[in-house]
Amino acid sequence: MRTIGLIGILALAATAVSDSQGRPTLAFRGDAGFVWVRSDSAAMGTAGAARLRGPVLGGEGRLVFNGFAVGLGLSSGTLQTADQAVKRDLIEGRLVVSARPLPWLEMSVGPFVRAYVTDSVTERWVFWQARARVDAPIVTASLTSYVELWRALSSQVNLVAGAGRVQGGEAGVVYRPPQRPFSLRLAYRMDDAAVGRGGRGSETLEAISLAIIVGER
Amino acid sequence: MTRATLVLAVSLLLCGARGLRAQSASDLLGGGVRAYQALEYDAAAALLERSLARDSAAGLADSLRARALTYLAATELFRGQRDSAVAAFRQLVLLNPRYRPDELIFPPQVTNLFQEVRRATRAIAVAVPPVTELRTRLERFTARVLASSLADVTVTLAQEDGTPVRQLYSGPVADSLLVAWDGLTAAGAPANNGRYVLRVTPRTPTADGPRARQVVLEVKQEPPDTVAWPPEPAFLPERTSTGPAFRSLAAGLVAGASAVALPSILAPGKAATGARFAVGATVGVAGLVGFFARKPKPLDANVRANASVRDTWKKKLDAARAENAARLRTVRLVVRAGPDTIAERGSP
Repeated sequence: MRTIGLIGILALAATAVSDSQGRPTLAFRGDAGFVWVRSDSAAMGTAGAARLRGPVLGGEGRLVFNGFAVGLGLSSGTLQTADQAVKRDLIEGRLVVSARPLPWLEMSVGPFVRAYVTDSVTERWVFWQARARVDAPIVTASLTSYVELWRALSSQVNLVAGAGRVQGGEAGVVYRPPQRPFSLRLAYRMDDAAVGRGGRGSETLEAISLAIIVGER
Repeated sequence: MTRATLVLAVSLLLCGARGLRAQSASDLLGGGVRAYQALEYDAAAALLERSLARDSAAGLADSLRARALTYLAATELFRGQRDSAVAAFRQLVLLNPRYRPDELIFPPQVTNLFQEVRRATRAIAVAVPPVTELRTRLERFTARVLASSLADVTVTLAQEDGTPVRQLYSGPVADSLLVAWDGLTAAGAPANNGRYVLRVTPRTPTADGPRARQVVLEVKQEPPDTVAWPPEPAFLPERTSTGPAFRSLAAGLVAGASAVALPSILAPGKAATGARFAVGATVGVAGLVGFFARKPKPLDANVRANASVRDTWKKKLDAARAENAARLRTVRLVVRAGPDTIAERGSP
């Protein structure tokens, strides 16, 4: 499955580059958000269900050409329980190759890595995502809503139980002020990862984020 | 021989016989004229009387009948039968009060006798076109009233059952008079379909006065041909479409609802934070903002352009409405006239 995903990325990228007629443009996004993680897998170093939360900062850069884009994103933050007894660092990184077959539809694929880091152990998820995003303009060119869903084509986790189904989604609104080179985005995201094939546990991540985007995406 | 052939042969024989009789009346007249010119007055009188004795269907037309009566009167005069000559001229005057014997053909004693009889015989007649088409109020049906001498007459139009419709004229007629009818009743309404009687009656009937004459008129209304309404022009839209506004609202509401529903879709049964409501509400409000930002607005340029087009169209509409109203007021009548006949005394 990973091989298929890699071939897909390379095919999309190659097509995009070969069809490119104009100069590629760069776009950057900076995020500030708050994350809630709920784990039933007992893998966070806590007994029973764990509920962690904390702020997260992140960013993503994209190279865009003729409706195709290659992006690299990273985010990081520190999560802790309500009583601050447990702390974990959250690190997420992803590589994405996307295309827009229709003006309102973006399809993308790429690897995604998420790690919960403590001093003694790191829980690391690696999965290949296939994403579909629908943009719906509210006020043309200045206010756009979007909904994005994704699902893991393959997933790995360094837990004994192994990874099960992993999927997620995001919904939000993007506002581009008139005569300004940037956009603002407000989004709500939720990822749900099942641990083990039999659904013996799960880790659910929710995030609300406010982002500033510079350049055409 | 088949039955059809037999019927055809009988029909041809009957038609031939009728034609032969009509020809005979004309021939008799011709023979009588030739006999008169040859001074064979007895033979002429016999032939002319026989030509006049034919019934109206197979007999002479009025013009030939007048000619036959003139020659018969002249013949009787030269035969010494003055009373018979006077009787013939009297018939001639009653037949056509305006008829005059040709003074190049007939000698003065004949024409003088005719004038004497004409002055003594008071007759009236009425002549109408066989078919008249008219628009009520605008056009006229005309009848010419003829009088052998000065006469006071009343020209009336009545229904066949005698119900008066309208009096068209009342007064003297010296020689002839043209009477017109605009197709309306006394009440001002167009005449209905039906049979009418146009009657010319002496105002003071006397035993030796002219006899009333009448013509039966078959009146039929024909519906007026109205003009078509002008087609409604294609107007430009005067407001922007409501579509974009509703699409904006839908985009905001659907995305907001999706944010709220994500946990239920992706991780059913698991508790989620209230963060999704904040984002969902924000996106929904953005949809409302978009709805009001893109709500329909008037397009002033189109409104102005449409006003001009609408005014022109309304003028055409008013003109067509007025024209149709006028046409509906003026009903078209077709009047078919029967022959001029003598009105029976006491008839309505």
